[in-house]
Amino acid sequence: MAGQEDLVQREIHQDRENREYIEVITSSIKKITDFLNSFDMSCHSRLATLNEKLTALERRIDYIEARVTKGEMLT
Amino acid sequence: MPLVKRNIDPRHLCHTALPRGIKNELECVTNISLANIIRQLSSLSKYAEDIFGELFNEAHSFSFRVNSLQERVDRLSVSVTQLDPKEEELSLQDITMRKAFRSSTIQDQQLFDRKTLPIPLQETYDVCEQPPPLNILTPYRDDGKEGLKFYTNPSYFFDLWKEKMLQDTEDKRKEKRKQKQKNLDRPHEPEKVPRAPHDRRREWQKLAQGPELAEDDANLLHKHIEVANGPASHFETRPQTYVDHMDGSYSLSALPFSQMSELLTRAEERVLVRPHEPPPPPPMHGAGDVKPIPTCISSATGLIENRPQSPATGRTPVFVSPTPPPPPPPLPSALSTSSLRASMTSTPPPPVPPPPPPPATALQAPAVPPPPAPLQIAPGVLHPAPPPIAPPLVQPSPPVARAAPVCETVPVHPLPQGEVQGLPPPPPPPPLPPPGIRPSSPVTVAALAHPPSGLHPTPSTAPGPHAPLMPPSPPSQVIPASEPKRHPSTLPVISDARSVLLEAIRKGIQLRKVEEQREQEAKHERIENDVATILSRRIAVEYSDSEDDSEFDEVDWLE
Repeated sequence: MAGQEDLVQREIHQDRENREYIEVITSSIKKITDFLNSFDMSCHSRLATLNEKLTALERRIDYIEARVTKGEMLT
Repeated sequence: MPLVKRNIDPRHLCHTALPRGIKNELECVTNISLANIIRQLSSLSKYAEDIFGELFNEAHSFSFRVNSLQERVDRLSVSVTQLDPKEEELSLQDITMRKAFRSSTIQDQQLFDRKTLPIPLQETYDVCEQPPPLNILTPYRDDGKEGLKFYTNPSYFFDLWKEKMLQDTEDKRKEKRKQKQKNLDRPHEPEKVPRAPHDRRREWQKLAQGPELAEDDANLLHKHIEVANGPASHFETRPQTYVDHMDGSYSLSALPFSQMSELLTRAEERVLVRPHEPPPPPPMHGAGDVKPIPTCISSATGLIENRPQSPATGRTPVFVSPTPPPPPPPLPSALSTSSLRASMTSTPPPPVPPPPPPPATALQAPAVPPPPAPLQIAPGVLHPAPPPIAPPLVQPSPPVARAAPVCETVPVHPLPQGEVQGLPPPPPPPPLPPPGIRPSSPVTVAALAHPPSGLHPTPSTAPGPHAPLMPPSPPSQVIPASEPKRHPSTLPVISDARSVLLEAIRKGIQLRKVEEQREQEAKHERIENDVATILSRRIAVEYSDSEDDSEFDEVDWLE
């Protein structure tokens, strides 16, 4: 009986270690997702500011071009 | 439950039914969990790819824009370096013939259209259960409606909201109309509405004639008050109120004169026609002893009374009342002299008092020969001024009372000015002669050289423009009485001959007017179901109760 008990104990012990391992893996997966999410966010905000500046620049160029060139003729 | 954009696939790593007949159950569970973890990782890699792909696409579109922008900047820098201020010509065609620059006004709307659904969410959506295919029965419906719409109808929210907004708009409009009608019954209640058109006109006026005018007007107004009141003691208190009262309507008188004349004539008709307008007319005719201030105030109140009565023509009375007082005269003179004269009149105190004499002398008789002493001072002060200020030379003296017709002609006949410059020695006479001389030919201007003789021609020539107006009114009050009629007589000439610029501006206003409508029509057709449009229309109703009036207004104004 003692041998069987010993076997069960060993299995449980092994299982414990396995679960710990799984725990580590899943937590690092979570870290990856966290990083991906925050990276996505920060990139989007940067792209938004870039878009903003780009739009402003485009408008300014539009304006300056209009100042330099003649306007469209009215029909 | 929040809507998740990306789902990592196997969620429950260990929740699985164990196959039967397994020796080591714990190990089996562990292996299954590990396999699931690997599946999770694969799903994670897929979503990571999605995330990076999204970012890349956005950045890639930016790179296109940046490149094209860079090209434009390069080209622009080249063309800018080639600009030559010496060769460049400024043509008025830019105002009338060419479209004005317009920055892009694109606004993002309908951000939650089905097409903007991100792919991962779309995938999730596709997994979801579809509504029953009720659309198969659509062809068998009598009313031709979609069968599925009776099961689920996403556009319901917007349809209902739009209907409500339109209903609200209608209600508000009706309410306003009702209120307006009520106000019409009680005309004494002051309204704030008429304010808006005034301001617009004021802007135009400023655009047309330059910003200095406002100050100039005020200056001349003060002076005129002094003239009318005699003692300068009222200067501090009364004029202030006077100016305040006149402020709004005052700007109106600065309109292009051809238009003004039209309005004026119409306004006169109205005055005659309208019975309930006691305040304005009396001051004009029985002006004998009434001082300008009371007249202005009373006319202003009459103004307010009038407006509600005829909403569509509300602004015409505005013209009637303000015109009798002196406003018009300063404007034309200011046109030519601008700020220069303003500074001159303000710097030497003597020039202020002089104005009173000229009207009296000019009007009463040729028998009053001596130009007042202060007048001499004024021209003396003016003389040092450079040639271009020729007109001011003469104007400081008669500015208040007689300036109106006299000065208007100044820009038309540059010749007299030149001769006036050429005759510095006779400073004293100029004050008197100009009124009569200017409208006439340069020949009379030559008379300036002989001060005493020059005086006589003035009174004789002066009546020319204002002959019918002067005699009936008492000398001191000539200005208010004759003003309204004087304008129509002198105006047409000026409007035609003044300048090409004026014509360009007028045309510009026309173009803008018609084009706006065209644009709006296009807009109507394009997006009738635009949330912003509906909202703005609803709000607009609350502010624009005089919508129709203002439209008429402008049309009239533009002839």
